[in-house]
Amino acid sequence: MFKEGKIKAVDGLTLSVRKGEIYALIGANGSGKTTTINMMTGALAPTAGRITVLGAEMPRHRHVVSSRIGVAPQEYSLYSDLTLEQNARFFAKLYGMGSGDFQRRFGELNEVLRLKGRERSLVSNLSGGMKRRASIACALIHEPEVVFFDEATVGIDPVLRAFLWDYFRSLRSNGLTILLTSHVMDEAGKADRIGLMRAGRLVDEGEPESLMSRHGVRSIEDVFLKLSGKELNDV
Amino acid sequence: MSRTGRFSLRRSSAVAGRVLAQIRRDRRTLAMLILMPAVVMLIFGFALGGQASNVPILVDNQDAGYAAAFGTTAVSLHAGSQVLTALQTDNVVSVTTGNFTAGKAGVDSGTYFAAVLIPSNFSQTILMRAQGRNVTASILLYIDGTKPSIAASVLGALQGSVQNASGIKEFNLVQQYAYGGVKLSGLDVSIPSVTAFVLTFLVLLISLLTVSRETTSGTLPRLYTTPLTALERLLGYILSLLVVGIMMVIVVFAVGVGLFGAAVRGDPALLVTAAVLYGLVQVLLAVFLSNFARNEFQAVQLAPLIALPSMALSGMLVPIYSLPGWIQPVSRIVPMYYANQLFEGIMLKGYGASELAFDFLALVAMAALFLVLAMSTVKDRIDA
Repeated sequence: MFKEGKIKAVDGLTLSVRKGEIYALIGANGSGKTTTINMMTGALAPTAGRITVLGAEMPRHRHVVSSRIGVAPQEYSLYSDLTLEQNARFFAKLYGMGSGDFQRRFGELNEVLRLKGRERSLVSNLSGGMKRRASIACALIHEPEVVFFDEATVGIDPVLRAFLWDYFRSLRSNGLTILLTSHVMDEAGKADRIGLMRAGRLVDEGEPESLMSRHGVRSIEDVFLKLSGKELNDV
Repeated sequence: MSRTGRFSLRRSSAVAGRVLAQIRRDRRTLAMLILMPAVVMLIFGFALGGQASNVPILVDNQDAGYAAAFGTTAVSLHAGSQVLTALQTDNVVSVTTGNFTAGKAGVDSGTYFAAVLIPSNFSQTILMRAQGRNVTASILLYIDGTKPSIAASVLGALQGSVQNASGIKEFNLVQQYAYGGVKLSGLDVSIPSVTAFVLTFLVLLISLLTVSRETTSGTLPRLYTTPLTALERLLGYILSLLVVGIMMVIVVFAVGVGLFGAAVRGDPALLVTAAVLYGLVQVLLAVFLSNFARNEFQAVQLAPLIALPSMALSGMLVPIYSLPGWIQPVSRIVPMYYANQLFEGIMLKGYGASELAFDFLALVAMAALFLVLAMSTVKDRIDA
């Protein structure tokens, strides 16, 4: 649980993400997705409850876990007055990577994320989609075991979105566990499992197909609408 | 012209209303807007409220007095005592009586601003001149030349006291300047405190801006999830800002000493050490303070809030002993006071490390204090 004053941002949330799966946490803006991710990554301490990541309790063992997880926050969270390479190198150093390892990994990521040729560009000069990919590259630079993508596909065009989902699936096949959040319901259908959040609570969870059949609807959006009773549920 | 193309005071007032609403929302800014002018006015009012006063001087009155006959009248004169009494009642100076040699040593060490010797034949010479002899009474003055305006006040007080005391118009004031005996130029005496002020204001400002930029750039949430600890981050800021501080020190001395030729009587290496130490104190203070600034705007306001009172309370504008009694102890907790002591001591007085040990220690202690405060307030998580 995370409570600030009288507002409970996240309350009564119980979920577990399996190793090597893509888990999509979906919900409207303000439903508590980012707060949940912040608590899981150790950036925010829960006011009650227990969180374990890779078997270690968070945020107590944050400094043990932090080198094994990668995070791409909702905001790009990059230094816009530095180049893409300077950003990536900075984060690589925080994870204790040597220069050789960094060069290899940065080259790989630039290739896959189609950032080649923009290494020396200032982040402020990159397009929105490029910033998003740059942010993902910085989250993956140290080859983490679990990654958290907060609204990773928000504000980007459908082609890039499709590309990113393909990429996420390729990461998963390499054994990576991915927890992502989205308020775009339908794209969450591409995840292995989905958790639906509303007003700080997990209202349902399951594989996309089983969720749709359980609620007798044809899309995840309909599942969500059915669960929220078509109310405005911005918190 | 279309309606929307016309100048609209209504739209301007909408902008004004919105800006005021934003200021009202930002409590810290609001507090600063009210507090800062009040603090600055109060401190400067107290600091600049009067002329130099209570300047500590030592007077050695060796005058033996003299009796002489003017026709049938016998006149006995104790002019030295009269001068001493007059000085003791003048609040420009604060008089201690004692031995002139000890007084000179006191000026050299900064205890006294001047030492005055009234010679044993003072009264005798005055009376002999009155009898028509071609002799002139003299007073020996050993004075700190590093603060010309105070030196002028002391001189004025001394001249006034002599004239009031014995009614004579002519006497020799033999002046000796402390610290090498050379009269310092206005530039020489102002560069040390200007150096202290530049380092106070600019190092603080740049440091506050740099650290608070991390808060506004939105990179902190990502940093919180990496292995970087809060202390490592703090040390990173300190190291980088120290480099910036050292660069400023180089520029300040390159211009002050290199271009303007300000005097450096002491060891230049000691001077640079003092400046870098003071830069570090300012960096640590800034890193500590920026833990409380939520944005760059708030951070920027902190620089003048620290720097302006420092100016008034460090002895830069007015000597500490001329400040109201209750405010004087406050100067001892102002880092710039010690920076002034160090820069003036090394540049003007030629002091070495042993004479300035206390001021160095005070700055080291302040650096340690600010480091501990910064460490204990640094955030390693998103603000709840």
